[in-house]
Amino acid sequence: MWQTFHEIPDMTSIRSLMTDDHRHCDDLFAEAEMAIGKNNLEAARAAFDHFRTAMLAHFACEEKTLFPSFEAKTGMSMGPTQVMRMEHVQLRALFDDAARALGDGNTDDYLGIADTLLIMMQQHNMKEENILYPMCDQHLSGEPSLIEQLETELCEA
Amino acid sequence: MQAGMAFENAPPFIAPLRFFLTAPLFAALAGLLIAVDGGDLFASRWTPGALAATHLITVGFMLQTMLGALIQILPVLAGVDLVNPLRLAQVVHLGLSAGALLLVAGFLFGQPVLLGLAALVLCLSVVSFLAVVMRAMAGVPSTSPTIRGIKIALFGLAGVVGLGAALALALANGWAWPLPALADLHAGWGLGGWAGVLLAAMAYVVVPMFQLTPGYPVRPSWWFPVVMLAMLLAWSLAVLADWAWLVRLSQLVAAMAGIGFAGLTLRLQSKRRRARSDATYRFWQLGLGSTIFALFLLLTAALWPAAGDIEGWAPAIGVLLLAGGFLPFIAGMLYKILPFMAWLHLQNCGMARVAAPAMNKLLSEADSERQMRAYFLAFAVLLAAVIFPDWLARPAGLLFALANGWLYWNLFGAFRRYRLAEADIVQKLASK
Repeated sequence: MWQTFHEIPDMTSIRSLMTDDHRHCDDLFAEAEMAIGKNNLEAARAAFDHFRTAMLAHFACEEKTLFPSFEAKTGMSMGPTQVMRMEHVQLRALFDDAARALGDGNTDDYLGIADTLLIMMQQHNMKEENILYPMCDQHLSGEPSLIEQLETELCEA
Repeated sequence: MQAGMAFENAPPFIAPLRFFLTAPLFAALAGLLIAVDGGDLFASRWTPGALAATHLITVGFMLQTMLGALIQILPVLAGVDLVNPLRLAQVVHLGLSAGALLLVAGFLFGQPVLLGLAALVLCLSVVSFLAVVMRAMAGVPSTSPTIRGIKIALFGLAGVVGLGAALALALANGWAWPLPALADLHAGWGLGGWAGVLLAAMAYVVVPMFQLTPGYPVRPSWWFPVVMLAMLLAWSLAVLADWAWLVRLSQLVAAMAGIGFAGLTLRLQSKRRRARSDATYRFWQLGLGSTIFALFLLLTAALWPAAGDIEGWAPAIGVLLLAGGFLPFIAGMLYKILPFMAWLHLQNCGMARVAAPAMNKLLSEADSERQMRAYFLAFAVLLAAVIFPDWLARPAGLLFALANGWLYWNLFGAFRRYRLAEADIVQKLASK
């Protein structure tokens, strides 16, 4: 069920593409936290900005391209994709809160929000990586152009 | 919809919370008992005080938090639907609390009636838990090491409680059973087959999640629970057949498996991408180090049985494994899980129209870290008390009681702030 326990996924699968993007976002998140640790607020703002932009691009790519394709193919529009959309809303609110705290230079508030954000984001990612993306790969395997499109959208961000 | 996609399945906050808020009080009681009993408690594993203190921690603290956490996490993690989780939580929580107190009283006052009653109450509580959970999990395929680990751990739970009840009855009725060998086996099932396997199954999920470490590698994670179970079955067979060599061999392999798991976790933590070391991380570092140390002592005694007879050897393993291992692991997880669950419930309560306070507003990092330092000190003195029981047992007990009382205070504070925030959100929603 969890990504890391499976055989190395096919490098051209939706799952591996989107999972790699999650890890890329994790790195940006960690960079922001590291900058705070070094009391470098400017660097932290820049890193968090990067992180937020990357996450929002990831959400947009899912909500505009991946989820609709999945829903059209399976007819499941109130299923897992709906839950993921709701979690995106919660995560976006946390990004805003965290950015505001950083903007105000309130590092203590930021770290608290970041902790909440991290757990929320990780459990969200786990559900996608282990349940939703494999379902997407299963149902959308006949559409190789979709992966290219997702890749382009993620790169453009 | 496939399993595990929704929080809507998650039981009300109060279901796991009642376990989490009771458990630290039992650990604090264990500290008080050590303070009152003094150095006598460390004289042997079999003193009434040592048995009582051990079970205050294992049944009162560990079993409480573990069953409470499972009631919370099974619906989310494995997508299982527990029928009426609130009622289950009430029954099991009441049974475990009463059973733990009866058991401890039975040991301390040497009352066969109390021991028999404790066995009955604890058995009934765990059986009702297992009946509900196993039925719910029957249709869930073991698609991850975590789910398989949980299933194997539940088997271990049945083993430890069954053996424990049999031991209590044997003790109460004066049956001529080989009690020390069975007690060792009971401890093996409890700490290895149940608590150890469950901890590993949870670690597969929470270590990467909290610390941004790489994930656990596939093969060892699948095999650890199976090896543990196989060793406990071999050990049980060895006790039945009276094969001392097989007892030692299975202890040896189980200890090595435990060291392997703890060592792997330490290595993953060293590759974490988070720069900050919070209380959870430090509690886990203590837990892993102390567990490895304890298992080396166990391994040494399996290879060279005379070591086990050295004064303080067995109590040292107990202190290292319980006060140095499982308690810090669990405290570290509680410090993340409880505020996150509180935040999530507040978030849902606010319906995206009223913001929920962040986790550190519910339970501040500074509070957790201060308590953590107190706990580290208490553990160090407790360990030293194994060597110098006459001097240090009482202060160690007091410190241990204080550190666990503090854990209670921190968790209860988070609950209090959660309630205030909830009232605030309800009011704001009403006025919108």
